[in-house]
Amino acid sequence: MKNKIIIRLFLCLALVQLVVPLSMIAKREIVLKQGAQFRFKVAPVDPYDAFRGRYVALRVDESSVPQVKEIKLKYGQAVYALIEVDAQGFARFVGAEINRPCGRAYICARASGTYNNKVNLDLPIDRYYMEEKSAPLAEKIYRQYAQRNKQDAYVLVRIKDGFAVIESLYVGGQRIEDAVKQQGGGK
Amino acid sequence: MYKAGIKWLYRELSDLIAKGILSQESADKLRQHYGEVKSTTKTTAMLIILGTLGSLLIGLGIILLLAHNWEQFSRFTRAVISFLPLVLGQYLALWVLQKKPQSGALKEGAATFLSLMVGASISLISQTYNFPADASTFILAWMFLIIPITYLMQASIPAAIYLIGITIWSGIQSNDPVKAILFWPLAAIVLPHFIWALRQKIYALRTTILSFVAMVCILFGASFSLGRTWPCAWVIIFSSLYSIFYSLGWLKVNGATTNWQRPLRLVGALGLFILTLTFTFRHFWLSLGSFCHLDKSRVFGIGVLLDYMLTIAIIATAIALFYYNLKRKNSMVALFTAVPLLAIITYMIKDPTVFFTLLIFNVYLLTLCIRQITTGFRNNNLSVVNTGMLMLAILIMARFFDSDINFVMKGLAFIVIGIGFLAVNFKLARRQGGAK
Repeated sequence: MKNKIIIRLFLCLALVQLVVPLSMIAKREIVLKQGAQFRFKVAPVDPYDAFRGRYVALRVDESSVPQVKEIKLKYGQAVYALIEVDAQGFARFVGAEINRPCGRAYICARASGTYNNKVNLDLPIDRYYMEEKSAPLAEKIYRQYAQRNKQDAYVLVRIKDGFAVIESLYVGGQRIEDAVKQQGGGK
Repeated sequence: MYKAGIKWLYRELSDLIAKGILSQESADKLRQHYGEVKSTTKTTAMLIILGTLGSLLIGLGIILLLAHNWEQFSRFTRAVISFLPLVLGQYLALWVLQKKPQSGALKEGAATFLSLMVGASISLISQTYNFPADASTFILAWMFLIIPITYLMQASIPAAIYLIGITIWSGIQSNDPVKAILFWPLAAIVLPHFIWALRQKIYALRTTILSFVAMVCILFGASFSLGRTWPCAWVIIFSSLYSIFYSLGWLKVNGATTNWQRPLRLVGALGLFILTLTFTFRHFWLSLGSFCHLDKSRVFGIGVLLDYMLTIAIIATAIALFYYNLKRKNSMVALFTAVPLLAIITYMIKDPTVFFTLLIFNVYLLTLCIRQITTGFRNNNLSVVNTGMLMLAILIMARFFDSDINFVMKGLAFIVIGIGFLAVNFKLARRQGGAK
């Protein structure tokens, strides 16, 4: 009798264990289907800082914005980073607000410190996962294309209600997976 | 009653009957009284270890096989595959619950496997959808999904995984004191299981493992979340924590101290000794300021209140236990657990020259060493004496390296300590030999 109750409770738990990851997937799939598409230029990441392994460490270029007036931001405080698209079609961050912006594109981020009246944004766009074998080569290619004088790398992001999901990473006009294949990696 | 003790008694019985000390009847009565001893502890432990290891390898193998062709799969396929480890773990756990609900080993193994597979599944999903580096949500989701397993399957390793997980989470949140302090209520969720485990089998291996993991996690959790507004409060907090561990390690449960308390005693004693030894260095106190980074601007509201309350509770518990030991005349335990009190005194007097602070801790440590040696000597316990000698030797060497005494003197001091070691051991060995 007692065992029956335990099995029933376990089945409930098993259901929750399935639903939670499912909801994680659903949330991101909805953003990928319905979210607005933005292209962010990416900057090189300090090679010593980047973890090696299964992903390319990303850093969105110009991820600091003018400080919010009259409000002192605390470290790690949640902010809404406002987005504008320039003439070339690339998205940039132009400001940060404490209250949810109305009618403007934005992304939920955190303030990671202030410097020269600018707020550094801790953005949820910092990892692009690859297959283990191609990740190191991909990171090399990424660094080549993201260099200051070249800057021919961008990340394609879908955003809905401030929630961002990375769609793919582009270097030199093609997806990084294709660039890796061309250079003969991952085999 | 201690299993090994009963086993020993049973082994002796035939001998005792043969020698006529015990009649067959009384021997049978003894057997009846204590009942049969199941010698399953070792096999059970092996079963748990092998079962867990086996299921772990299978799980990892599956993930590796899948990861090989990962890039060829569409996003949808990857998402579906991500659920495979989880479903496998759930199936296994359900099978054990239905078919072998009596087997503790199988339940422990299946529960551990499921706990790890929940993590594997979420991590596969996080890779498919490029989750950001901030792992706090991932860890917390994982931990909340596995903690019910501990209770439903009466398994301790998932509880240990949970404790480690929330400690890491609290570490990630250590910049946000209001969140970091949540470590304590989150850790308290394991408490009923821990008490249950103690009641079931107070001598079992898993309670030992669990108490060891819990201690390490509590120490880390405290460093992430406590004393955020008191400069250098950690000096008192950590001496209190180690002191509590040590006291609990000697607390008599059913008239005896038990296996699960051994890690408490060991970690407590080691922690207290290392802390006090650190407190005897002038350099430590002079540079203490640089160990006390405080940014009060980040600490506010409810987090501060909880921080204060918990810190005071921990210190009060340590002092209460010290008082308890003092009253019960457990002088050795009381002496060891006096460290938080001394830390509070030095914290209060804030001696700028640190002369008195150093004096207090040096004298204290010296007393402790001597007491340890004499206790061991009195009880003819060689290991206690040698521990005391080792502590004394470390203290003396520390003082010698501290000061500007020349090499010859240092060398001589080492020789004297060495001779002391040998002489004491020789004397004790002879005394023990004489006793035999």
